[in-house]
Amino acid sequence: MAIIEPVPLGELDKDKFQTRLELAQQLMVPDALFIQIMAHAPGYGEALFDAMYQSHAIGNVDHSLKEIIRIRLSTISKDSYFGTLRSKKAIDLGLTEARIEAGCGNFEIDKQFSNAEKWALTYAQLMYTEPTKVNTAFYNLGKTFYSEPEIMELGAFIAFHYGMQIFMRTLKMAL
Amino acid sequence: MDTDPDKIDKAFYTQLKQHYSTEEIVELGAFIGFNIGYHTWFGTLGFYPMFTPDGRLVDQEESARIYGDKPISHTKGAIQRAKEGKQNKTDGSLE
Repeated sequence: MAIIEPVPLGELDKDKFQTRLELAQQLMVPDALFIQIMAHAPGYGEALFDAMYQSHAIGNVDHSLKEIIRIRLSTISKDSYFGTLRSKKAIDLGLTEARIEAGCGNFEIDKQFSNAEKWALTYAQLMYTEPTKVNTAFYNLGKTFYSEPEIMELGAFIAFHYGMQIFMRTLKMAL
Repeated sequence: MDTDPDKIDKAFYTQLKQHYSTEEIVELGAFIGFNIGYHTWFGTLGFYPMFTPDGRLVDQEESARIYGDKPISHTKGAIQRAKEGKQNKTDGSLE
């Protein structure tokens, strides 16, 4: 028995969740299970899905890079639910498991990643392991690769996805 | 959740269900997760609140003086420093 039983799909409020379920089906991050859990608190379910979807699927920063970041974050949060999900959009864009694995490994010395990508991956890595290293000098370096709106997009994405991962980890919702 | 997540196990949730509904537990968990994520991020950005504990709009420099660089109770100096800052502005000693 699950710690929190997902709301059955047939019991979800169609007005609130039908379109969101379709978006989840298209992107697969999150999938319907996240909606079914969060739907216990309907207002939260709608807002959190929207934030998660928009922060990942919409924006100026490369979606495939954000997908690698998201999966790398799951190795820090130790959340197997989000760590197992894969974005259909990123796969369609050509993101491979080998590149995801490289991004989750020692990317600093990996030539397949640009300096901008390395900065973004380091941003995610340091945020919840050594946040004091994310300082003015670090942000100044980031500004040589990204605009301020893009850095805000990355930071908000990292913070939001990590926060949801550590909650889902406690629910042990592995696929 | 932030410091020792392994302790938030099935037994912990069972105990939680004695006090809260499933809706409230999901609400709490999502709220806590969201705040852990964003507090850490905002900490790296070096922003300070726009307002003093008594609601006075201040610039980031004064806010940094009032609140300091670590989260503290407002009763542990922030209220006093906000009053001193207001007084200094009134009598012109900081002008």
